[in-house]
Amino acid sequence: MDITVKKIGETEKEYIEIGCHKKDERIDEIVRFIRSREGILKGTKEDRQYSIALPDILYIEAVDEKTFIYLENDCYESGRRLYEFDEALASRNFARISKSVVVNLMKITSIKPSLNGRFSCVLTNGEQVIISRKYVPDIREKLKGGAV
Amino acid sequence: MKERFRSQLAAFFISVTLIDLAIFILGCLLEPDLKFGYEAFAYPLIYGVIGSLPGLIMYSKKELTMKQTIIREIIQMLLIVVLIIAFMFGRFRGIEYDVFPQIIAVAASVMIIYVLVNFFGWLIDLKTANIMTEDLKKYQAKASGKNE
Repeated sequence: MDITVKKIGETEKEYIEIGCHKKDERIDEIVRFIRSREGILKGTKEDRQYSIALPDILYIEAVDEKTFIYLENDCYESGRRLYEFDEALASRNFARISKSVVVNLMKITSIKPSLNGRFSCVLTNGEQVIISRKYVPDIREKLKGGAV
Repeated sequence: MKERFRSQLAAFFISVTLIDLAIFILGCLLEPDLKFGYEAFAYPLIYGVIGSLPGLIMYSKKELTMKQTIIREIIQMLLIVVLIIAFMFGRFRGIEYDVFPQIIAVAASVMIIYVLVNFFGWLIDLKTANIMTEDLKKYQAKASGKNE
């Protein structure tokens, strides 16, 4: 298997491309490894544990005493508390937007006004999550400050 | 709390302006020959304060759902109508049918003003949301260049 590493311009988006005859377990393993380099979280679903790549997460929500990790079409439960995610992911393009939600800023397509001074984020899967008034100044600050 | 105070203050000043306009229009239609003293300048401010008081019931430490927010908005509007009418027509002890048209006109005005205050508040939020979306796009472009 040939491996090519090409240097690209600073303004271009970095990418990894794999040329293969068939997308099999070997390729999935490589993809999982590359994704793990961007950070992973552990989540459980139907008593099985899964590794979830950070860039795949839409948002993390606390409901009652449980914490759920939402992906485009999937949802996993986590044993960690929301504030732990908030602290751990603050430097990874995630932001707290309400008492119960930490969102992946890279998965928001737009922000719209909602009722009572609140805002709502439209996510890449069309879902909407509410930004509480209390968290608006912090989010504005984070967005203005640019990516960390 | 700070954000809530700012929002309440903005609503108060928008209310005062609209109440001033409503007094002018209703006065011209219902009592065109009535003359006032300097105290007339205080009435929009007093009505503005009365209209702002029920906003306190909107404050909740819980994250309200959209349904709860709408219900509270309706309760708040009805409370303002009752308070303003009680303040304006409280001196009439018995049923005096001749003030009914005025009560209906005032109630309708209060509701229109309430809707307009919320509409103007929403317009301000729309501008904020658009700025946030622009900042978000810049943030995402910067983060994509760095991290992905």
